[in-house]
Amino acid sequence: MLLSLAPTPVRAQRPGVAVERRLAERLGLRVGDTMRLASSPDSAGRLFSVAAIYDPPRDPAALLKRELRLRMHLPDLAALLGAPDRIDRAGVALRPGVSAETAAARINLSAFGYRAAPSREIAAESSQTFAVVSRFHRAIAVITVVASAVFLLCIMLLKVEERRRDAAVMRFIGVRRRTIFGALLLEAAAIAIVGALLGIAIAWAAGALTNLYYQHYFATQVVFSLITPRIVLFGVALSLVLGVGAGALAALRLVRTRPAVLWGRG
Amino acid sequence: MSGLGGARNLLRHPLRTALSVAGIAVAAAMLLDMVMLSGGIERSFERLLLARGFQYRLSPRGTLPFDTEATIPNVSAVVTMLRRDPAVMAVTPVLGAAIFGRRRGDDSLVTLFGYGFDPSTHALDEMLRGRELAEGDSTGILLGAPAASLLRAEPCDTVTIVGRLDPEAAAPAVERRLVVRGIVRWIYDYRGQPSVGTTLPLMQRLAQVASEDRASLALVKVRDELATPATTARLRRELPGIEVNGVADLVRHFRERLVYFRQLALILGSVSLIVTVLLVTTLLTIGVNERLGEIATMRAIGVSRASVLREVMIEGLVLVVIGGGLGTALGLVTARYLDAILTSFPGLPAAFSFFVPRPRPLALAGMALLVTGALAGLWPAWLASRAPIAETLRAEAT
Repeated sequence: MLLSLAPTPVRAQRPGVAVERRLAERLGLRVGDTMRLASSPDSAGRLFSVAAIYDPPRDPAALLKRELRLRMHLPDLAALLGAPDRIDRAGVALRPGVSAETAAARINLSAFGYRAAPSREIAAESSQTFAVVSRFHRAIAVITVVASAVFLLCIMLLKVEERRRDAAVMRFIGVRRRTIFGALLLEAAAIAIVGALLGIAIAWAAGALTNLYYQHYFATQVVFSLITPRIVLFGVALSLVLGVGAGALAALRLVRTRPAVLWGRG
Repeated sequence: MSGLGGARNLLRHPLRTALSVAGIAVAAAMLLDMVMLSGGIERSFERLLLARGFQYRLSPRGTLPFDTEATIPNVSAVVTMLRRDPAVMAVTPVLGAAIFGRRRGDDSLVTLFGYGFDPSTHALDEMLRGRELAEGDSTGILLGAPAASLLRAEPCDTVTIVGRLDPEAAAPAVERRLVVRGIVRWIYDYRGQPSVGTTLPLMQRLAQVASEDRASLALVKVRDELATPATTARLRRELPGIEVNGVADLVRHFRERLVYFRQLALILGSVSLIVTVLLVTTLLTIGVNERLGEIATMRAIGVSRASVLREVMIEGLVLVVIGGGLGTALGLVTARYLDAILTSFPGLPAAFSFFVPRPRPLALAGMALLVTGALAGLWPAWLASRAPIAETLRAEAT
């Protein structure tokens, strides 16, 4: 649809139109202004009066298309498009207790030129894009977890190996292997927890920055990055399991080595 | 001390080295994937747009091709005007419309996407079986493989195509029996899209837009050297009611829509490099600390600081080169897997790819990885070369 601004004063019989805030801001429109709407550049179109400026619902599906929308009464739009009594879709509310699937199947038996679909089916179909993005995120997350696991294992190994001489001294003065193993494990767990907490803080800051940037970029209130308690719990648990596991492996290797070798004289 | 010494040091701790190489390999794989993703989207889209050499898409004012149901009226006049333009080599108008077909056997209606086009330009399809439509063929139809399967039809079969259905009259407004000339692959179709194609006038009649001579878009081919911003500007001036988009404009629009993936690629690529730096620095620093006595002895017998510095840096580079090599293989495998996920986006052309390997960015990524490895080795190398000889030897002896 095409639109232009007309400086004509508003008249009462002029149909009203509700304009999306972004569009209103872009065109400098205010409630009460007059605008000309046309279905093609070569048609004169009609004058409308801006009756309202609204914020659209937080719909992630509409974000990427970056469409600018306005709302008007159905007969006004039909008249503007020259397509009276024609619609794209209609919503049907069912009486309580009636199954949407059964009703859709019944309507479709006699439908000609249209198709009835339950809202759930439409929602599933229209959220396909997000399902794909979620699968992509999961795949990236798996790669990240593998990389983190290797990184953590490596760091823990190095960290524990740094304690070779300490472990050797402890073994020389009679400290049991189990005690050394426990101490190293505790250290690994502490490092994993501190690392996880630091990671959560970084993720929170990165999430806040992401939201700030994309909300400004798309001029929307849609939340792009959400760190839920479940995610935090998962992150802490994963790093704890990986950290303690890696620490245990490295500590086991250390306590099995002879003290003289640990001291560098073996 | 030599470069080989650096490599030999890594073999002293095989587990530690293996883990570091594995970590660098995963980070390098991620970097490779993200480099392919960052520019691959645009490259793939550009390749798709230029598949048949048409550099311009003309669509209704304010729209992108097939983004809305808007159409261009009096398209024949637009095409005639363009064909008179000496810069224009070919123009082909295309109408896209939702139509229906009767399934052979049970006569049930299936929804199809119909292309009306000029078959002589081969702008939209690639023949798989059968033959192309002849110019002015008003009784023939081309089917994509999904449409052929839905209609249960093969070349030379006759199918019934139905235009707009009128719910009020409960009857099809237009119904035609057409002979399947061939089975084709529609270049711009998404996976599984049941598309059919006829000549433009026939599709206009099926979609009931013949009286206004409407088309969804027109594809324009000019000589390569004329596909310039100046030609775009001139076409825009000459066709004020029509949106003129060159390949670069469409790529720009597409890039805006997929900005998320480009930024994700940038962030994850940077994280990969940081992980590499951390891994190499940590490993080398601890390795150097363990070998301080040995390094001090070497220095005491006359090995220069530069040699120590070189050896430690080579150690880092060896790690990065081996990790990077493994990461390249791993990255190519993961890229295929990730591409399979992303190309299942609804409405995306089946020929589209997100992860496209391009020599220059890949070489740059490799260089970045090498430089990162070298820089990561700098700090531990400096530590090693500056170690106080006497003090270190005394500490080692006690």
